[in-house]
Amino acid sequence: MMAKRLLLRHATRPPSCILHCISRSNLVRNLASVSSNHNNEEANGSSSSNPTKSPTSPSIGNNSSTFNNNSNANPNEVNKFSSFASHWWDSRANPLVGMNPIRIKFLRDVVDSFQPSSAAAADTTAAPNIQLPLHNKRILDIGCGGGLLTESLSRLGASLVVGVDASTHVVEVAKRHSFHENSRLVLPSSLQDDRDIRYIGGITVEELANSWLNEHEKEQTSSSSSSQQQQHQLFDIITALEIIEHVPNPPSLLHAAKSLLKPNGILLVSTINRTVKSYGLAIVAAEYISGKVPIGTHTWDMFWSPAEVEQMICSSSQSSNSGDGRMTQIALSGMVLQPPFINMEWKLDGSDTDVNWIGAYQKEQV
Amino acid sequence: MARTLTFAAARGLARSRLNCACSLTHIRSLTSATNENNINQHYDVIIAGGGAVGSVLARLLLNDNVDKSLLSHRRLRPLKVALLEQRSSPPSLENIANTSSKTKHTPNARAYALSPTSLSYLGPSVLQRLQQTNRLGIYDSMQIWEHDGPAQLHFAGEDLNEAVKSGRLVDLHGLIERNNDTEQHQKQQQSNRRPWLGSVVEDAPLVSAVWDELRNDERIDLIDNVQITSISAPSQNTMGNVEPPPPVEMSCTRSITNEGGSKHDEECTLSADLLVAADGANSFVRRTLGSSFPMITHSYDRKAVTCTVELDVRKGDMARTAFQRFLPHGPIALLPVWNSLNNHDNGAPIYANVVWSTTPSEANHLLSLSGTEFITTLNHHLCQGPNVNPPLLSNNNRGMPHIPIIGTIAKEMDSLLRTANTALTMGTWTESPSRNFFRMPPASARVVGSIMGFDLKLSHVQQGYTAPRVALVGDAAHTVHPMAGQGLNLGMGDVYSLSELIKEAVDSGMDVAGTGLFLDRYNQERMVKGLGTVGGVHGLHELFRCSGSNSSSGIMNANALNSGGNASGVESVVGLGRSLGMNVVNGLGPLRRAFAEAAAGAAFSR
Repeated sequence: MMAKRLLLRHATRPPSCILHCISRSNLVRNLASVSSNHNNEEANGSSSSNPTKSPTSPSIGNNSSTFNNNSNANPNEVNKFSSFASHWWDSRANPLVGMNPIRIKFLRDVVDSFQPSSAAAADTTAAPNIQLPLHNKRILDIGCGGGLLTESLSRLGASLVVGVDASTHVVEVAKRHSFHENSRLVLPSSLQDDRDIRYIGGITVEELANSWLNEHEKEQTSSSSSSQQQQHQLFDIITALEIIEHVPNPPSLLHAAKSLLKPNGILLVSTINRTVKSYGLAIVAAEYISGKVPIGTHTWDMFWSPAEVEQMICSSSQSSNSGDGRMTQIALSGMVLQPPFINMEWKLDGSDTDVNWIGAYQKEQV
Repeated sequence: MARTLTFAAARGLARSRLNCACSLTHIRSLTSATNENNINQHYDVIIAGGGAVGSVLARLLLNDNVDKSLLSHRRLRPLKVALLEQRSSPPSLENIANTSSKTKHTPNARAYALSPTSLSYLGPSVLQRLQQTNRLGIYDSMQIWEHDGPAQLHFAGEDLNEAVKSGRLVDLHGLIERNNDTEQHQKQQQSNRRPWLGSVVEDAPLVSAVWDELRNDERIDLIDNVQITSISAPSQNTMGNVEPPPPVEMSCTRSITNEGGSKHDEECTLSADLLVAADGANSFVRRTLGSSFPMITHSYDRKAVTCTVELDVRKGDMARTAFQRFLPHGPIALLPVWNSLNNHDNGAPIYANVVWSTTPSEANHLLSLSGTEFITTLNHHLCQGPNVNPPLLSNNNRGMPHIPIIGTIAKEMDSLLRTANTALTMGTWTESPSRNFFRMPPASARVVGSIMGFDLKLSHVQQGYTAPRVALVGDAAHTVHPMAGQGLNLGMGDVYSLSELIKEAVDSGMDVAGTGLFLDRYNQERMVKGLGTVGGVHGLHELFRCSGSNSSSGIMNANALNSGGNASGVESVVGLGRSLGMNVVNGLGPLRRAFAEAAAGAAFSR
């Protein structure tokens, strides 16, 4: 059994198209170097960072001494998910599997309405069926876990998906799943466009942003690359789904995410609202009564309301220093189980954001 | 030679159906197979069985649903589907229709009664073509009555008006005429449209019309004359792990007919993310994966006799009505066929489909009769009105203790129940005269084609409709008594539900069976529906079996049938209760509409 596992791991090297992309993409090279720095230790922390303390940030005391003070990762939370890693792709054990279709539906709705692909109109005449919905999008998946969302985004045609997570264990799971031949993440050659999927474990998004901004500055001084080219290295879409309730400093995470977003880029955030109903459903019912969610997965104090998150993202003054565009909330929806806990069927419900909710925020053009 | 073909060229050839194997060969150049004859191909979905259920699933999968949100227009990628059929691919619908006009073709008795919801799954163009070639047997009223009681049950298209208006039931008229008519014409027709209760469709034109659709679609490989020889499906413990479960792999033998007419066999290996077993009650896939799918079976101890008859136009009118009369051993149904063009006025013969369920011995007796004898027996048993209830206590008080008080109470109850029942019967007649008067079914003139018989069996999978990367649909998962006409409708519900889940998986960029998510949901949805229908029809069968007459009063002893027989006390009470129940359903509009809507496949109101 063990031998077989090892064999499989060696056999699962990334498909050739991915290697091809690496050679072409500056950012991917950067990311690869970052990843090698951090692959061995959980959240080593990077040398330079700008910690952002927000008055709305709760449980700052949670920062453990084993972590760099600047690292926005809670070791208890990271360990919690690391121990769950092997069940990540089990739909009967992990409710996130069942939630994936509506997350994607929300994302595709938002992208179709607010970030329509310029090439789509031209392509429909040629091959209407082969135009993938996320064609040409560069996407960053923060808190990718075992790669549920990351893999889907790649299948939907994203030219680059980068999945990052503070836990190296879960990212190991993501890699083993996505690069396994049975995943068939690669399309037949006739449909192949440039698609790349990368996973980086043991890194926080602040560290990623810092390393990218450093590289960005170097390039600005060394080469004469136009600003347009640099924007190509930013992300069209950044997802931070079910993650901000697990980190000590959500404003810092959201700020770092914003700095990696292209103008017109979209940030998607989902979490659980802090209401009486969410205590009853997301903690008492989900963890203790039905057992669908492992006990201790969530702490009610760390839940966030849509208004709080909107304030963190949209009314932050910190964005002004880099000349970034302001963020505005463009869509908001609840995610509800219907009927509750009998099956894993989630529905989007625009009127009920009392428990699970998902929001989209777009960066204005400068 | 095939190796040099490009992907597109290979597919083009496959469409022309000169040599379907070409579409399989393009992958050979990529995989550098050692064996020349070993063809490997991976599909998202392989459907085993190209009959009614399997081909409709393929059509639903390839259908970009117009009613859905904008998202579904931009499908992720062409879903790669293969449809495997053991026999040769069916002829086109035009071929069937043309031969019939030349050689005086008659309807085939192998036919289904499809509900409006099931009909909608065929899609507008298939429905239009079936209608235009006169291959639909539309009924917008239904009359059910019993041989030994006064009760009758009438359903009319109007019973479905509410459901159609509120959108819980598909508007078939709108669906068919969407492309045909101008808007003005549609508005004109809207007022006098009567919703159909259903339609009888023969197997052959139905399958041909759906295959015609599939032939025009390059996203599907139609592989006919193919025999699956072995299947290897992932085991249960490959699910939920870090590594995705392996695909289903199967070996097939395909017999190819060359242009010269010589035949040779070709081996191929196919793999799929999902294998759908649509290969009928004796499903090869289910039997091969036997340990995953234990079955519950129950013999009704009944046999169905079915044939097509030509009606005697002088004696009664069919007029889009489905008739069903309950006899002691099961119902006789007389169903309309080939009436969608309404060309009967110009002297064309009117046909109907007969389905007669009864005990095996009686069925064998019917099968042994000559055509004219059969027609006489049929007319004798079908063309009779409702009867009065037999007395609750037969003259000799059989089975009842001789205690004076109990006898008196029983007699009082008897008279009370009969009064109530008669009052209900009378009451329903006054509600809407046009609907409730008993209509004598038309007499049959002669049998066309042969009389066929088949055993009736209840079967249902015990634990579930799915195994890792395998799903059962239609008769492969369940068979029911045909008395409620739910057999194929249940299968159509299966494939619709499965197709929606597959599309959701594709739209979400997920492997449909890579996790248990979608197949678990399919299983939950259909298990409830399947067991409910199988159980409900079984209950109905048992209810009508307990008739007021003695079980010996079959067709071989026609006199006993009309005399009411000597029923035991308990059976009489059940029979009377059933009779009352039928009258109650018939008399109470909302209850009757609920029954009609359930049979039509309408969504429940929320």
